Amino acid sequence: MPHPGTGKSFLVAATITLTGFGILSFAKISVGAALVGETRKIDLQQQTTTGIAALKALYRRPTTIPFPKHNLYTPEKAALGKKLYFDTRLSVTSAQSCASCHSPSFGWGDGLPVGVGHGMAKLGRRSPSIVNAAWGEIFMWDGRLATLEEQALGPIQAAGEMNMPLDQLMLRLASIPEYKPQFDAAFPKDGMTPKTLAAAIATYERTVVSEHAPFDAWIEGNEKALPEEAKRGFELFNGKALCSSCHEGWNFTNDSFHDIGLPSKDIGRVEFMPGVVKMKHAFKTPGLREISRRGPYMHNGSLPTLESVIEHYDQGGVERPSRSDLMRPLALTAREKADLVAFLMTLSSNLSPTVVPALPR
Amino acid sequence: MRTLPLLTLLILSGFSVGALAANQIVNQKGRVFSMPNVTIKKGDSLTFLNDDNVPHNILSTSAGNEFNLGSQLPGTATDVTFKASGDVQVLCAIHPRMKMLVNVTD
Repeated sequence: MPHPGTGKSFLVAATITLTGFGILSFAKISVGAALVGETRKIDLQQQTTTGIAALKALYRRPTTIPFPKHNLYTPEKAALGKKLYFDTRLSVTSAQSCASCHSPSFGWGDGLPVGVGHGMAKLGRRSPSIVNAAWGEIFMWDGRLATLEEQALGPIQAAGEMNMPLDQLMLRLASIPEYKPQFDAAFPKDGMTPKTLAAAIATYERTVVSEHAPFDAWIEGNEKALPEEAKRGFELFNGKALCSSCHEGWNFTNDSFHDIGLPSKDIGRVEFMPGVVKMKHAFKTPGLREISRRGPYMHNGSLPTLESVIEHYDQGGVERPSRSDLMRPLALTAREKADLVAFLMTLSSNLSPTVVPALPR
Repeated sequence: MRTLPLLTLLILSGFSVGALAANQIVNQKGRVFSMPNVTIKKGDSLTFLNDDNVPHNILSTSAGNEFNLGSQLPGTATDVTFKASGDVQVLCAIHPRMKMLVNVTD
């Protein structure tokens, strides 16, 4: 990597060094792959500082829920999906539903450090919240599923979770007389199939959207909606604390994958991206809506409070090759840490009660 | 005095597979590839410039054009020369919303 310099000797040295690196980098490329040149520094123009008004505009709530073209919203689909979501008969034991681990009572998670699956056995990772899943780009902590429809069928069939083979599930649903007419109403062409089951559940999940929080009122212009410490926390969130590098936009995630230096043997995303160093121990950035209701925190539930989360980021985590280059000690003061927590508290709404549906018999 | 920088430039360009030719530059500002699709000829290069404020990890697993730039810090650029014809899906491992398609023609 060249460094700034002006002398003749620097140029010669740079030439030798760079050509040496060039040869080395070609030598390690296998036949049949693209050729990668040496990485070089580029002077970027000074970034203009973003004013508070422009910054706040990045956090304005969307006005509509995005539904994919292959699975557009209908009220019939969403109503059927809600019943399936809360129906324990989707698990082999008839004891667990989607809502067992993704419950409206716990910010659409389960409030446990790690999920509990078939036979009450502990799972390896925390149950993620489904809030705002409609905006998700990729699913599961390790990003192994591409759509919410695929995700809906994953835990149902997983041996450690609901442990229900799909063919067995379809037979069970067919034995419940009131389900068939509801599938026929929601899917007049296809009726009751694993694909329509997934489409219905995904449609319902997309309707689970975080409600208006004090933060939203402030974004929309009510200066009194946030205490001063939370406003300072917002500036830290977007500045010194680097939070918004990943917890970006109104849903506070850009779905990026990072190793944030948590001590854990879980290899995370690299299982599906072998050889990509930065994906080892990397997990998907969760959104932060309703965050005060969603502890304990992190992919493994290892941090009990928001204060402990801020402390982890302030220290920078375990230094290892895979750790994100964004992770480093932040030198936050006690007041700054408190301001960040005060800000995070403003992302929770006064959630309306969720009505649990009467299920088909 | 002037010949030395020029010599440096020539040697560098020779070893960086056309880096200083008129490569098309793929910017990454705002966690978006500046071009979702691009068509280039086999043997031509693209310059991946991280002009964003966060690191990226650009890669492809498309057969014949596999590459992985690793963690590319803001303010750095790397050239990639595509050797095989066909469609090449380019991704950022860190940011799954970043996707682009390179059509490499004979």
